[in-house]
Amino acid sequence: MRADAQALKGHLDTLLLASLESGPRHGYAVKEALRSGSDARFDLPTGTIYPALRRLEAAGLVTGAWAEAGGRRRRIYQLTPAGRRQLAADRAAWRDFVSAVTAILEPAP
Amino acid sequence: MTSPLITGYISGLHRRLPAALAKEAAAGLLETYEHHRTSGTGDDEAARAALAEFGDLALVVGEFVRQAPGRRAARLLLASGPAAGFCWAAALIAGHAWTWPVPAAIPLGFGAALLLAVAGLTAAATSRRSYRRIRLATVAGLIILALDCTAVTASLLAAPARTWVLGLAAAVSLGRIAFTARTLPRLAIR
Repeated sequence: MRADAQALKGHLDTLLLASLESGPRHGYAVKEALRSGSDARFDLPTGTIYPALRRLEAAGLVTGAWAEAGGRRRRIYQLTPAGRRQLAADRAAWRDFVSAVTAILEPAP
Repeated sequence: MTSPLITGYISGLHRRLPAALAKEAAAGLLETYEHHRTSGTGDDEAARAALAEFGDLALVVGEFVRQAPGRRAARLLLASGPAAGFCWAAALIAGHAWTWPVPAAIPLGFGAALLLAVAGLTAAATSRRSYRRIRLATVAGLIILALDCTAVTASLLAAPARTWVLGLAAAVSLGRIAFTARTLPRLAIR
């Protein structure tokens, strides 16, 4: 099942940052990390990943650099220190949000 | 050899996006295509699967347009326009600007340039599919920068008294000057 694109939009930046947390990746690998990490729920059109990565790059959260592999040039993205800080902040905010919603939806008996 | 379906899509990217963005998206499409080719499908089938996975050209171009720094900058400048305009109008009325020794051509030229800049910013801010319209933000931003600089300089030179409302208007313009001067170089390379 694909997640509702509108619902995903508010969290896309955080998910992209998280997909780069373990190390540098090219765009297709970022997309695959989102798809496989979400059990195929977040299966975005690959082409829409690049504008989002560009925006994160412009914001200083990600850096991109061209590299050659297998005779093809690829742009490799990695987190900047600011990107790591942003991811940590987003993760903490998400945990707070989830625990608050869970407390309401599933109150302790 | 790359499938004509892929090369056609890449040509479309280059027609509709700045070179750096088209190159980046094209590399991603080729990566997707190679992924399908190495999974054992034929060239055309791999190309069709890659294009389906990559997304429609209009969708991809639209996402680049929607997330363009120029579009965001144009929106911010437009949003700050009414506040700046209100402050300057109040300052000019309070200072009886019509009595200042300024040739009539200057306010007329200022008004015409302002209308031009607002038109450019509006075109960039509302663009959904055209990256060319986003580029208008750079030109319009330069005009806004020049107008804010002119307004601050002219009012300091021509105003007979430095009122608080004039100071407020100058402060708003100085804020916009700082924002525009910081943003414009980023737009030029994107």
